[in-house]
Amino acid sequence: MITTDDLKEKIIAGLGLEDMGIDEIEDDSPLFGEDGLGLDSVDAIELTLIIEKEFGVKIKDMGESENVFSTPKTLVEFINSQLESDK
Amino acid sequence: MKIYDMDNKCYVNTKEIKNPKTKIEQLSHVLYCFENDIFDVVYDKSQPALVKYINSLNQDILYQDGMQFLYFTSGTTGLPTGVFKTKENSIKQAEALLKTLGDRKFNRVVTTVPFVHIYGVDIGAVVPKLLDIDIWTKENFLPEELVLEAEKEGTLIVTTPVFIKALNRIKKDVNLSGSYFLTSTAPVPKDDGKKFFELYNTSVSQLFASTETGLMGHKIDDEEILKTYDGVVIDEKYGMLRVSSPFVTQKILNDGVIEEVKPPFQTEDIVEILSESEFKLLGRSSNLAKIAGKRISTQQIEGIIEAMDEVECVLIKIRRDERALKDEILDIYVESKIGLDAKVLRKTLKEHFGAMNIAFKIFNNVKITRSSVGKKIGFKEL
Repeated sequence: MITTDDLKEKIIAGLGLEDMGIDEIEDDSPLFGEDGLGLDSVDAIELTLIIEKEFGVKIKDMGESENVFSTPKTLVEFINSQLESDK
Repeated sequence: MKIYDMDNKCYVNTKEIKNPKTKIEQLSHVLYCFENDIFDVVYDKSQPALVKYINSLNQDILYQDGMQFLYFTSGTTGLPTGVFKTKENSIKQAEALLKTLGDRKFNRVVTTVPFVHIYGVDIGAVVPKLLDIDIWTKENFLPEELVLEAEKEGTLIVTTPVFIKALNRIKKDVNLSGSYFLTSTAPVPKDDGKKFFELYNTSVSQLFASTETGLMGHKIDDEEILKTYDGVVIDEKYGMLRVSSPFVTQKILNDGVIEEVKPPFQTEDIVEILSESEFKLLGRSSNLAKIAGKRISTQQIEGIIEAMDEVECVLIKIRRDERALKDEILDIYVESKIGLDAKVLRKTLKEHFGAMNIAFKIFNNVKITRSSVGKKIGFKEL
């Protein structure tokens, strides 16, 4: 099981957001768009690669995964559910 | 030719849409305009500063006789430059591109790029229109999804170097030799081009182009030398590429004023000309960054930051990291009474550029040095 802090650490390191601390990213704040973290479409691709490399979870379909990418919390729930089903 | 909406799994007709919001709507609209000779202003409406700038212009001058589309790109001075293109510019360019594809046969185009820039419109929409093959697209692609599409025989993929790098990283064990990739916005790094061919047994043709000039040259996989497209005449002035071709704009809109373009068009690309049809790209004028495929003037960003309270002077240098998908990072040197905070800057940039996350690193506590004529040339740490 991973925590939202684990994910935030990987996001900060992987997307080069060195100026941010994990406590500055809310669990429920949007990852994309103009509010919240403000990531863009290239960051989304990078994020899928980070998740595969760091947690071994593949995200294959953006349509099905749209809600998964909403916030750090939804993303962690998805990663944990995938890890659980792979056991 | 039909448009296939991969998100909603249905075909979509071309039609005039007043305020297209999605990628599919934008594609449907620009193709309708193209088919019916309707002029339109094509730009990224998710960038608040650009929307504000265009709205501030005298709207009458946006409509010029004989023009098909007006695009906006970042000018070197910091203000957006409007670039008018004719239908003939696009058609001749598509014909020149198709010549370089030889006798390959395609039955559809899959495009990951949006239709708010010239690359998406001219290559992602006009090329399949001329080939009379379907265009498949969706709002957002993941690398895994693109591989699945590329596995289907006869697919021409219109994408960006970001996806080539991403596909190299996921290393799928598939043979994509029945498909072919086109990228633009920047050349694929040599190692990435080589690795892509080795992993997937297919090639990526890298289009070297700009909004003003249209296509200039191309190279395949790990080649280093760019070959010009048919009809493109090149030379250089002060080491920077100049181009004449039937694809070059005839009119630009600079600071609210229409200017006729007299060939050859002077680019900001530093090149070595090897022959009349071959050149090597050595670099780009240091004041233009390409971030997520969008050209942004560092002077524009310097101006935005210098307008902030307590900031006296800013110098931006572009750093490259070829391993990253976003391979250009801005090193921002700030002379100010109080340090510039990254969160404040991120918020300010978002207000100007919308949902585009610009990679940067701030260096506070510096004094910007200037030349005798006032040009910012470097910095000293305090």
